[in-house]
Amino acid sequence: MLAALHRRFGYDERSAALLVFPVVAVLLVVAAFPILYSFWVSLHDIVLTRPLRRPFVGFDNYLRVFDDQRFWVAVARTTIYTVVTVAVTTLLAMLVALLLNENFPGNRLLQALLLVPWATPSVVNGLMWKWIYDPTYGLLNALLLKLGLIEKYRVWLGDPDLTLLLIANAAIWKQMPLAALLIIVTMKAIPDDLYRAAKVDGAGVFQRFLHVTLPALRPGLMLVLVYETMISIRHFDLFLIMTQGGPGDASFTLSWLIYVETFRSLRFGTGAAMSYILAITTFVLSWAVIRFLGRRI
Amino acid sequence: MQATPRRPVAPRVMRGMLLFCFSALFVLYVAGPVAWLVSSSLQSEAEITAVPPNWLPPSPSLSNFEAIFTAGERQVTYETRRQGDAATGGFLPSGASNLLPSLWNSLTVGIWVAVLNLLLSVTAAYAIAVINFRGRRATLYTVLATRVVPDIALVVPLFLVIRNLGLINSVGALVVTYLAITVPFTIFILISYFEGIPRDLYRAARIDGCGHWGALRHVYLPLSLPALVAALTFAFLTSWNEFVFALVLTQNVEAQTLPIVISGFIMDFTTSFSFVNAAGVIAIIPPVLMAVVFQRYIVSGLTAGAVKG
Repeated sequence: MLAALHRRFGYDERSAALLVFPVVAVLLVVAAFPILYSFWVSLHDIVLTRPLRRPFVGFDNYLRVFDDQRFWVAVARTTIYTVVTVAVTTLLAMLVALLLNENFPGNRLLQALLLVPWATPSVVNGLMWKWIYDPTYGLLNALLLKLGLIEKYRVWLGDPDLTLLLIANAAIWKQMPLAALLIIVTMKAIPDDLYRAAKVDGAGVFQRFLHVTLPALRPGLMLVLVYETMISIRHFDLFLIMTQGGPGDASFTLSWLIYVETFRSLRFGTGAAMSYILAITTFVLSWAVIRFLGRRI
Repeated sequence: MQATPRRPVAPRVMRGMLLFCFSALFVLYVAGPVAWLVSSSLQSEAEITAVPPNWLPPSPSLSNFEAIFTAGERQVTYETRRQGDAATGGFLPSGASNLLPSLWNSLTVGIWVAVLNLLLSVTAAYAIAVINFRGRRATLYTVLATRVVPDIALVVPLFLVIRNLGLINSVGALVVTYLAITVPFTIFILISYFEGIPRDLYRAARIDGCGHWGALRHVYLPLSLPALVAALTFAFLTSWNEFVFALVLTQNVEAQTLPIVISGFIMDFTTSFSFVNAAGVIAIIPPVLMAVVFQRYIVSGLTAGAVKG
């Protein structure tokens, strides 16, 4: 029997199985099983305040989610938040990459500084910005007053029109560095010949950027867009720490809705259904970005 | 003729000035917020509640940090906590003594995750990148697909799994959970690194009588040091930062990590801001030090796959 196995699977396959086994085992327990289990949950009407009756309801939970007013509010908030975060992160990262790609004294120091926001834990990031936005003691009010941009102190996080943008700002601060690093690496891979050729052809700085740098950056930019979208769309920590969905429903995003539905209302079934909707959306979006950018630029 | 030597000078000065301005803006944006957090942590409660705020600490003191490190010895009860005047910073949160144990928990979890993550990922990445076996693509996609579902969706089922294993409120539960987050990403990074190592080296090793284990040990590991260091750092930082799972899977000092204890302070409105800011600074120091020390490796390791797309 063992000999038969040996004949059927060569040395390569047996080694591969052995080498891959530990990872597969761990991921089965802590990733695959929970993922499948939460799908099972999403098909049942499970409410923790009524633990014994948990009937199978098929896709009713999903339909219920789509009928829920809060869900569409959350979709709108999440869309605004994600679009702003991803767009500004990418734009800033591009500017920072252009700066750090230049050769000048102090360049290495700036690159080390760039890693500071990346390494800052998100809880501390939330704490830091909440403290900066603080209505009485915060830096933002003091700074803007000094510059004459506002006339009196404002309650920044209490302003429904600004809350999402202010949280996005905190997220951008933390996310920009990795995006910038990815763009820098792609920039470094652009052959100098292309720039020299463009110069010979009489292209100015902006033309060189537009016709040489930008097209060559496609793979890096694509990675940044996909990655930033995937993480921004599911941000949670900052919302819990800074606003808890408020004021009103101004920062009521999808991941916050999932948290409230699951841990405050204890409706696990609909909570799981929302999670699946979010997961599938993320997946489709990433795929769309890859397809779209893969072809266009 | 005389004008020619001058022409390159003006653009160069312009370029220098532009670079300087942008560098200054960059430093202000990246370091400004952290600098203010540090500055606040060095001020007493009375000083940080001044209006307008003190940009720099008027009389820098480490008293907030001292409070954190001596909180374990101090008996914080309703009475002792009310004695201090709010303005002098006497308001230590009741959970202050949890800070040091949670710092220790964060370190323990981080180190375990970093080491186990590397051991698990290296073998799997080698198999996927180098060996051409049946089900190779399927393995890769399955591993990556586990990261598509948002963390918040996994919290409940994972909680049930961990509870059935009897691991709730243990450091071990956090380690296992964090591996699920770090392993797929690490495998992804290592595969793109391993694929960049010339295939001839692998063939030479095999001809010299190395098995897969030998090829991994003598060829791939020594050549991918930057990626390995990057993976260690990345796993430690991920585990140090993680919040949602720790929030649900831990209940008290025995397993709670630093972000959980700090977020507890933030929600507790009686907490003095000077104290929370100091706790925040303590939480920033290890990851930032690590990131700056291993900067070179992080940049080359984390971005190995970027160029290929």
